[in-house]
Amino acid sequence: MHLFKNIILTKKQYSLLRNAVVPRQSVFKDESKLDINYIPQKLPHREAQQRLLMEFFNFILRCPEKMAQRVILTGDVGTGKTALAQHFGAEISSEANKRSIKFRYVHVNCREFRGALSPILHRAVTAFRPNYPARGYGAEEILGSLMQVLDEENAHMILTLDEFDSLIEKEGSDAVYKLTRLQEMRQGKPQRLSFIFIMRDLKAIEPLDESAKSTLQRSIIRLERYGKPQLVDILNDRVAMAFELGAVPEDVVDLISELAYTETGNARFGIELLWRAGKYADASDAGSVEAECVRNAVSAIVPSLRRSELASLGLHQKLFLLAVARYFKENKDAYASMGEVEKAYAVVCEEYEETPNSHTQLYNYVQYLSKLGVIKAEIGTAETRGRTNRISLPTIPAVELEREMSESLKQEKSGAA
Amino acid sequence: MEFEEVFSSKSRMKILKLINQLGQLNVSDVTRRLKLNFTSTSEHLKVLESEGILQERTYGRVRMYRFSETAKAKAVVVLIEAWEKQQPAGNEI
Repeated sequence: MHLFKNIILTKKQYSLLRNAVVPRQSVFKDESKLDINYIPQKLPHREAQQRLLMEFFNFILRCPEKMAQRVILTGDVGTGKTALAQHFGAEISSEANKRSIKFRYVHVNCREFRGALSPILHRAVTAFRPNYPARGYGAEEILGSLMQVLDEENAHMILTLDEFDSLIEKEGSDAVYKLTRLQEMRQGKPQRLSFIFIMRDLKAIEPLDESAKSTLQRSIIRLERYGKPQLVDILNDRVAMAFELGAVPEDVVDLISELAYTETGNARFGIELLWRAGKYADASDAGSVEAECVRNAVSAIVPSLRRSELASLGLHQKLFLLAVARYFKENKDAYASMGEVEKAYAVVCEEYEETPNSHTQLYNYVQYLSKLGVIKAEIGTAETRGRTNRISLPTIPAVELEREMSESLKQEKSGAA
Repeated sequence: MEFEEVFSSKSRMKILKLINQLGQLNVSDVTRRLKLNFTSTSEHLKVLESEGILQERTYGRVRMYRFSETAKAKAVVVLIEAWEKQQPAGNEI
């Protein structure tokens, strides 16, 4: 014991040490219920939309071969689009199963495949043919195979294309046309494939040509932002599932709901905040989630930065984003010109031993990243001549972004090695 | 082909075991998983198909092999499964 008599621990060190040696009571009962991918048994305040979705697709339970449907689900971030679709998918699958109808619900996030149609369709084929080759075949061939497999199995499928805008951006009108006019190429054959398209903003379909657009805009379900009382209900549901009884006081749920409400009614943000606040409560051995834990969580959370989106960025997009973060970390300016960021990007590329991409490519990255909401780009007038992009980082602290990108690049590099 | 000739090849037996395990595979996949040569894998698959044990399904350019519905194919599946199940003990009846 004398060995330690001169050691003075900070409060944090003491807490860490104590947690390591003394078993403590966590505020969580089951934190997996706060995971981003968890789909709850019921979706509060989305009952009407769920019924509507069932109305659109209940032909699958009655006369599946006679019809195919295309539905667009649209709404802001955190309004429950993905949860609604997956919840519905599970429900209709179980109903179809009861009626001995061979049916599969397949949910694919297009951004995961950077909007490329072939791997998206491959995912759908593997629902029935798990060993269907992953490479070497074009989208049209895979789509043909998918229809052949569905015919062979006498099966029906709803293919949900989440973050559909990334597919539009990558593949354009042709791909959309191919998907939506599929049945016309199969005159006289049973209908097999229906779609749910999920996108944040209907504006995403504007670049499509008229014929592709018209095949899409038939059934649209809009999810409005959640109001504060609705967020309270949603969070209370999750609190009951994920936390020990009494671990989250009512006023804390209220505070988190308020914060999620100001973050454009984003339920996902609220749930993540709830989880993080719980983590702070456990780390400080508080025994319950206090308002201070929420405040700590808020300062650590980066709402506009979704890790899933960052993970799907390409190597040079990450390098570029790291350059943006470093620029704003080192400069106090609110805006950076394209030229300044390009210089920072060149330095980052040197550090990571990568050949920098061209200006045009970087311009594309700016457009893409600003569409994701990570950076903001606007056309400014350069002082000398011409026009240039003014880049800003409105919502994410540069330090946070730098840390995230450095970690992500480190993982990517070690994965490649 | 005579019975003993069909089952005399170690590679053919491995192919049958693999397809029984995974359901349906294309030639490249079998080649890769068993570390065999493409041409000989393709030939083995043709033999097993001509004997009515496997059947080929074509999806555009993709050709996939699986067990057919014949009595021979069913017997082979039963044999493989019985064998796999009995592996640890080996000599039970």
